[in-house]
Amino acid sequence: MLELMNVNKAYAEGRKVLTGLSYKLEAGEYVAIMGESGVGKSTLLNLIAGLDTPDSGEIMINGVAISSLDDDAATQLRREQFGFIFQAFHVLPHLTVAQNVALPLLLNGVATERVAQMLRDVGLHDRGHHFPRQLSGGELQRVAIARALVHWPKLVLADEPTGNLDPDTAHEILQLMRTEIKANGATGILVTHSHAAAATADRVLNLTKDGLHPAKPGERV
Amino acid sequence: MNTAMLSRWLLFGEWRAHLVQVTVALIAIAIGVAMAFSIHLINTAAFNEFSAASKSLSGQSDLQVRGRKTFFDEALYPVLARHDGVAVANPVLEFDVAIPGKQQNRNDHKLKIIGIDMFRAMRISPDLLGLVEEGKTLDRLADDAIFLSPAAMEWLQVEQGDSLQLNAGLQAVTLRVAGGLVRARAGQRIAVMDIGSAQWRFQQLGVLSRIELKLRDGVNHAAFKAKLAEELGEAYWVTEAVDQEKRIANMSRAYRINLNMLALVALFTGTFLVFSTQALSVIRRRQQFALLRVLGFTRQQLLRQIMTEGGILGVSGSLLGLALGYAVALLAIQLLGGDLGTNFFPGVKPGIHFDPWDAGIFFAVGLSVTMLGSIIPALEAARAKPALALRSGSEDTAMAKLSPPWFALICLSVAALFTQLPPVFELPIFGYLAIVLLLIGGIALMPRLTAGFFSIVLAKWQRHRSGAVSTLALARLANAPNQAAIALGGILASFSLMVAMAIMVTSFRISIDNWLGRVLPADLYVRAAASGDLQTDAQKAIAGLPGFDRVDFFRTQQLTLDVNRPEITLFARPVDKADARNTLPLTDDMIASEALPENVMPIWVSEAMVDLYGYRVGEKVTLPIGVKSSEFLVAGVWRDYGRQFGAIQMQLADYQALTGDLGVNTVALWLQPGANLDAVTAGLRQLPFGAALEISRSSDMRALSLEIFDRSFAVTYLLELVAVVIGLLGVAASFSAQTLARVKEFGMLRHIGVMRRQILVMLAAEGGLLTALGMVLGFLLGWSISLILVFIVNPQSFHWTMQLHLPWNWLGMIALIMLIAAALTALLAGRRAVSGEVIRAVREDW
Amino acid sequence: MKQNKWSGASVVIALVLLFLGLVGTGALAESDRLKPVTPGYKLIFPQDYGAHQDFRIEWWYITGWLETEDKKPLGFQVTFFRYATGHNQDNPSQFAAKYLIIAHLALSDPAAGKLMHEEKSLREGFNLAYAKEGNTDVRLDDWTLVREENGRYQVEMQGSDFGLSLALTPAQMAMLQDQNGFSRKGPKPEQASYYYSEPHLSVTGTVFRDNKPVTVSGRAWLDHEWSTAYLDPEADGWDWTGANLDDGSALMAFQIRRKGGGKVWAYAALRDPSGNMRLFEPEQVEFTPVRTWQSPHTEAAYPVAMHIRTGEIEWRLTPLLDDQELDSRQSTGSVYWEGAVTLTKDNQPAGKGYLELTGYVKPLAL
Repeated sequence: MLELMNVNKAYAEGRKVLTGLSYKLEAGEYVAIMGESGVGKSTLLNLIAGLDTPDSGEIMINGVAISSLDDDAATQLRREQFGFIFQAFHVLPHLTVAQNVALPLLLNGVATERVAQMLRDVGLHDRGHHFPRQLSGGELQRVAIARALVHWPKLVLADEPTGNLDPDTAHEILQLMRTEIKANGATGILVTHSHAAAATADRVLNLTKDGLHPAKPGERV
Repeated sequence: MNTAMLSRWLLFGEWRAHLVQVTVALIAIAIGVAMAFSIHLINTAAFNEFSAASKSLSGQSDLQVRGRKTFFDEALYPVLARHDGVAVANPVLEFDVAIPGKQQNRNDHKLKIIGIDMFRAMRISPDLLGLVEEGKTLDRLADDAIFLSPAAMEWLQVEQGDSLQLNAGLQAVTLRVAGGLVRARAGQRIAVMDIGSAQWRFQQLGVLSRIELKLRDGVNHAAFKAKLAEELGEAYWVTEAVDQEKRIANMSRAYRINLNMLALVALFTGTFLVFSTQALSVIRRRQQFALLRVLGFTRQQLLRQIMTEGGILGVSGSLLGLALGYAVALLAIQLLGGDLGTNFFPGVKPGIHFDPWDAGIFFAVGLSVTMLGSIIPALEAARAKPALALRSGSEDTAMAKLSPPWFALICLSVAALFTQLPPVFELPIFGYLAIVLLLIGGIALMPRLTAGFFSIVLAKWQRHRSGAVSTLALARLANAPNQAAIALGGILASFSLMVAMAIMVTSFRISIDNWLGRVLPADLYVRAAASGDLQTDAQKAIAGLPGFDRVDFFRTQQLTLDVNRPEITLFARPVDKADARNTLPLTDDMIASEALPENVMPIWVSEAMVDLYGYRVGEKVTLPIGVKSSEFLVAGVWRDYGRQFGAIQMQLADYQALTGDLGVNTVALWLQPGANLDAVTAGLRQLPFGAALEISRSSDMRALSLEIFDRSFAVTYLLELVAVVIGLLGVAASFSAQTLARVKEFGMLRHIGVMRRQILVMLAAEGGLLTALGMVLGFLLGWSISLILVFIVNPQSFHWTMQLHLPWNWLGMIALIMLIAAALTALLAGRRAVSGEVIRAVREDW
Repeated sequence: MKQNKWSGASVVIALVLLFLGLVGTGALAESDRLKPVTPGYKLIFPQDYGAHQDFRIEWWYITGWLETEDKKPLGFQVTFFRYATGHNQDNPSQFAAKYLIIAHLALSDPAAGKLMHEEKSLREGFNLAYAKEGNTDVRLDDWTLVREENGRYQVEMQGSDFGLSLALTPAQMAMLQDQNGFSRKGPKPEQASYYYSEPHLSVTGTVFRDNKPVTVSGRAWLDHEWSTAYLDPEADGWDWTGANLDDGSALMAFQIRRKGGGKVWAYAALRDPSGNMRLFEPEQVEFTPVRTWQSPHTEAAYPVAMHIRTGEIEWRLTPLLDDQELDSRQSTGSVYWEGAVTLTKDNQPAGKGYLELTGYVKPLAL
């Protein structure tokens, strides 16, 4: 479903981040990517999302080379096939919870019936008319999860989704994420520092200077 | 850690990061201050120059004696010269002479001639002594010599030694330009002659305009003035130099204050812009400030930090504004003249003088306005609980605190109350206050109105069909009304002012056009060159010419009724006895002709007479017309847009019976059907005195009057334009500030698949919708303000009323232009919303 | 003696002409109405004490020495001019400037160390300024000079910070200058005036300084002169003196300096107490500067101490004070030195008089 082919990326000032990165992710997989700060996790996510282009190499999503797409096409791709969950939630403050969740559906121009279902699924069925400021951090991330999955995305990218949450809430959210990704049949990539978080994924990958490798069994998972 | 250093870091960091916002705020302050300061400078310069020019004519006298009428008998001169306590009595004869071929506008075709006795003037107004050619001192006494100011020489295109032909009544007088008046003020068009020669050459034998007195040392001026006034009786006015200044000040006071008010309104618009810029900038950094608080910044430190920022902005913006204002004033005076083309200060060329005190005041106003704009959001930021403020989404709540609805309602109610109050010192102070309060109240009410309106639209919209972009735009407008409203404030203020001015000017112009039709009913108007009258034989000659249906003779005269006020104009003319409305543009306030008693002399007074002198219809008043003062009945009130200081109309027959003065100055001529205008004009010219006649067609006079009118309002158009620019700047500033504040929102939207184009469309829609609402509200507000201008400010300051007329086409066009401009501005400001950095922003915590 | 004489008071003509900027230009032409001065006219009194409207210019000119009660000397000068402008002859206006009245008042006070002076000008009219015919009766606002029936003159002149109120009583008969009052002023016969003096007027009255009255008495000299002529174009300036001598004699002498040196004209007359006049030819009269004083006001150097020879008699003139310069450049523009002097003859005190020095400052461009 997602294939990285010898991807190279350097920062504008020339420092190399990703060198010769290759990896293949099957549909339905849910992997966690770990790595030290600055190793290029966010860059990788941006490349996958088509928000940035690799210096060389190719990223294929369902057989489509994402770097071959222009901005509009990449946006279209994201809109239809991607879901995003951020560390800082990024829920629009002036939209209600339900409206926030409905956004991807609206963007895709499809009916918004599924919003209620999604809210139920993430446990916010009675909060749809609330504004984000009335919600706690954990609740906001639930909104984000609902938004990320409401439109049946193929790929969900979650960037430190629990970085702003307390451990108990974090645990709940991670479980919910996993459940929902699986329930919606999506492929999931979870970028995290936390071993506990990573443990909720099917597999854990380590991003290093040398590339993306499965975490050694010796490592604590 | 040194907090001062931290403070500096924060300051520079913020400014480096948001250079555009800081620049816009700076420009806003600068424009506001510059507007107010330049108008003040121009007004002050023009007024001072005008007053200096008038003073240079009357010199260093302690007292002035003048008659109620323009001229009085010279026999008073030796009496005053020999009077106890008088050191010098300086007799002056002053009159205007029309210059043929110089009739571009009514204030611009006359040469003021001052007749002086050089030996007296030397001691009181030495500036009026002509500079003679070497060895020709006697020219100052010569009966054929005239001295011209440099401006007059330039205007008349003559030099020393040339001969100059002038008209005295119906005769031509040829004089020799004996020299210059080097100490005349720049632009002052005057001529000086020996008093005896002036009396003789211009047929003013035996009369003077005024006698200026210098009192002996130790004589009490006030006591002497009172005693002299009593001795001379009611036929004369004794005035001090200060009275004279007051009189001059009174002449242009309404104009000057109105202009200053407009400038203040511009400053107010600027204030609002500064306020919104500052407020937005503080609110954008709410989380940042909350963090600082968490890290250990005290409330005071935070407050100080924000205030320092505002202070630096205020200082630099105000300084910039002073410089800009000074430059604008210089330029405007160069291009438009000291009265900005309005002819309120004819014949002066003022220079701009930089007065540090005044500059200090305007600097202080600019600074305090900026500080005010900073302190309210700063207080809010300092008071906010850091934990809450750290969370995003609380910005709009914070803003809501800045404009509680009760405040808006109080402003509006007080404004309504103020419209009911009378003028203060003959100025519509409360009218202006009402306008300001209306603006403040309207703007403060904006968030509620925006929220209410867009919530309804959003609800309706969603029922029909749902688009992501439209939902986003509408939801934002409906649910974050405060941020939206701040952007709207600038538009609202400028558009409503523009609407108000447009309605006022249109109403005024249409009223004047109608009025001109009423007051200039004849086809031709003929005047003798100024200072001369048409005597009975000349009148007969004109009336005897073929081609005319009707010939009316007018006698006009200046009359002083109150020494502190400018002279009023007396018109003696045949007024239709059956119905005065056939002759005069009367208001409804009148006595019907058939109801007039037989034995009274009726007069019809202008609206200004009612306001300034308290004349009431049906009342009997005494006027100094004729040998003795006589009693008249006020029979009606007429509209007069020509003379804001008052005018009276009376029957010519009454005037002639009272004064025995059979001369007239103006003849109104109605053509016979089919008569050729050029032919009858030629007929008039062929009369023996035809060359000395000023012949004007009423159509030309109308066109000329409207042209003068338009020129007078040129400056208001300019002010409107500036207000619009300020408003658009406000849109730009608040949109770019909000774009920054919303950078993460855009980042997220881009992530989840919103296209660049869609974000731009969203921004343009937000801007456009907001502006559209602003237009509607601005129109309502502007219309209310125009009512205040038309029905309160104008009658109270200029003493004339008018009917309301709305310039729909123009308003629609302006609304459209502003709508497009605002949408474009929002787009332009939103450029950053689609740049790459928004994508990174989602990963930042700030 | 020769009749080619030029009176000291011609100074004043020139002054007025200078002031009015007429020097050297033919202002006569336009006014045929004005009469020339011709020899052979016999002065008739009291009529000739009064004004002569048919002549361009006329003046009454009084100089004298006063003494306060505490014996402090003062010098004073009072002058009234009447001048026909030549303009406005047909102007019916009451303000028509046909005639001007100009007056100078000066007081030399050694205590003050300088000359106090004031001047006024006004057109004739409205009874505010006039010079009447028939007897001396001149007014300029509240400045008056009136000759009473009995020959006594009353002068009332109050300036802004000084003034005087004097009665001047003649002790001798009038002194008709030159040819019975026809007085030559230059080499051309038409350069002449009618001119008489009244020397040895005995003065009583009050002088006001700083508004304080001081009783004074003294001796004065009056000139009355009228003419239509003007200065010789060659003239550069003049030196004049008129003195009441202690023995009752009266001396008047002048010279007109030629541009570039030498003199255009000179005249002197000495009348003894019994009335015998001795007139001197131009070449018999010689002025020699003894000491010059440079004015700090105008930079002009005036020969304030003068040696005068009339025939065989040598006179020495010493000023009461050096700074008796009358500088009115701010108003009428004339600048001259007009000062009280004491006379010695053969180093013996001989009398008191006035010395007038003009043309030492470049005429100002007016």
